[in-house]
Amino acid sequence: MRNVVERVLNTLIYLLQSPRPVTAEDIRRTVPGYSQDSDDAFHRMFERDKGLLRQLGVPLKLVALDAWEVDHGYTVDPEEYAMEDPGLTAEERAALSLAATMVQVGGSHFGLDGLRKLGGAERGIAYEPFGADLGAEGDLLGTIFDAVVQRSQLEFVYRDNPRTVNPYGIAFRRGHWYLVGGGPDGERIYRVDRITDVSAGEAGSFRRPDGFDPDAVLRAHPWETGVDDVIEAIVTFDPDVAWWASRTLGVDYSDGPLEVPIPVSNRDAFIGWILSFGPSAEIVSPPDLRDELVGRVKAAVAGPGR
Amino acid sequence: MTSQRTVSRLSRILGLIPYVLANPGVGIEEVMERFGYSRDELTRDLNAVFVCGLPGYGPGELMEAYIDEDEVIIDSADYFSRAPRLSPIEALGLLAAGLAVSGSGQGTPALDSAIEKLSVVLLPEADDALAVDLTATSDEVTTLRRAASEHRVAQIVYRSLSREETTSRDIEPWTVFSTLGNWYVMAHCRLVDDTRTFRIDRIREVTVGEELFDPPDEIPEPGVGYTPSDNDVQAVIELQPAARWVLEYYPVEVISEKGSVTTIRFSATDAELPARLLLRLGASASLVGGEEVAARVKDLGAALGARYR
Repeated sequence: MRNVVERVLNTLIYLLQSPRPVTAEDIRRTVPGYSQDSDDAFHRMFERDKGLLRQLGVPLKLVALDAWEVDHGYTVDPEEYAMEDPGLTAEERAALSLAATMVQVGGSHFGLDGLRKLGGAERGIAYEPFGADLGAEGDLLGTIFDAVVQRSQLEFVYRDNPRTVNPYGIAFRRGHWYLVGGGPDGERIYRVDRITDVSAGEAGSFRRPDGFDPDAVLRAHPWETGVDDVIEAIVTFDPDVAWWASRTLGVDYSDGPLEVPIPVSNRDAFIGWILSFGPSAEIVSPPDLRDELVGRVKAAVAGPGR
Repeated sequence: MTSQRTVSRLSRILGLIPYVLANPGVGIEEVMERFGYSRDELTRDLNAVFVCGLPGYGPGELMEAYIDEDEVIIDSADYFSRAPRLSPIEALGLLAAGLAVSGSGQGTPALDSAIEKLSVVLLPEADDALAVDLTATSDEVTTLRRAASEHRVAQIVYRSLSREETTSRDIEPWTVFSTLGNWYVMAHCRLVDDTRTFRIDRIREVTVGEELFDPPDEIPEPGVGYTPSDNDVQAVIELQPAARWVLEYYPVEVISEKGSVTTIRFSATDAELPARLLLRLGASASLVGGEEVAARVKDLGAALGARYR
């Protein structure tokens, strides 16, 4: 079998150079590596290669070849294919090169791949003992980000419920990617790793609200997605963990125990966090939240077979 | 070859060709450095380019691509004279990397203007639609990063994640990194004379003195994976769907998945960590094996029961 890299390059050149759209059959007859296979094998191979071209960011389009829309052909517009040069200076490119080597997304250096299309990393950048992984699955995140940029409506399943959302923006915060989207009930926050079965509609299908800022929306939701009404809990942290809790909460602390009010909009996540301190933290009020925590502990201690 | 690796390879080829066309006579060293190539990889990719071209695929139609002395030569490839646009995930990866570094207090004016210029091209109508917040880069993160770049020994007061105890130790910080929303420092720990990864929000105090250390030639890829040892405490835990997030957060071994229940093996240096996790999970998980952990859950439950009486 001929190398997939060569087959995809040849297909891309054929599409870029052809003055008119070409059919799948044209591609099969023309590009080496396709012709000798059975119909089924060809279609599987061609589907895979189209997928690779789209993953590469190639604007592959299928257009009707006649007024009756009987035959269809593929086309890549060279103007759409090529990127506008952002005009980076050497210094700017060096700064980006460094950032792209330090930061990964889900264990992959997608930023470096991108930088290579912009002329590669600047030479001679120093190694920095610093790194970050903005964890997430690349394909899913890419699809969602594309919908944000193209303003395409998204349909997906979220915690077993089907949703139709106008994707306004995405943000990374507290170790997760979130999608902020508009729908019939106003703005909602979705954790990207809980989104499944996603499909995007036509580009330009909605308008982003003026002055929209995904970070501001997320900041307004201290404990993840606001699944419950916001209540205020009072919590006491013992001296052995108070310094640590104060850092997470971003409150001042000097010594001794720490008693603080905390806004809670996701009871479940909040109780889990308090329990991670073991017996060194206590919910003082409200009583129903205390009871919920005690119930959780009892369930854990009761063990299996309850 | 997975599709991601194929895409990555093609992406590099489609960036390489316009660069070489625009910089005739460019040296092989520079190409290798810019595009992150080894010599073998570069030769392999040039060989692939060499057999591609226009339909007909005769000598006059194929691209030229080869190494001549120390120069990389590519010709007859006008259709690739401009680089393709970035794919969505490449664009996101690059912008997010810039925003993450800039937002963690290490930005430079050059980085900020680079992000600005990229946003114009990559996010034509959505320049405010992306935000990256690496969460509270504390003084400790900054101090340890500086110690790592200057190869200075640091003394830390650390509250261990698996044993609820606080220790003071000298470390040789190699690299500081963020993953899953937390900051870590990977270091050689002199107390245990071994490599250790510390969660920085659990470091209560850090002092950096004058003493320098010799960094290793090759720093291992940072990660928070757990290396099991013979002295481990083990727990077998059944997770309901609501507790499946545990798989993402802890290096656990999946034993079986039956219907909606996932059974995992959780290994740790002592019983504290799995016991606390079980308390957090409540009815969405159950311990089916591991006596030490079961005893610790009971003790913690009793302590909490006393506190909430």
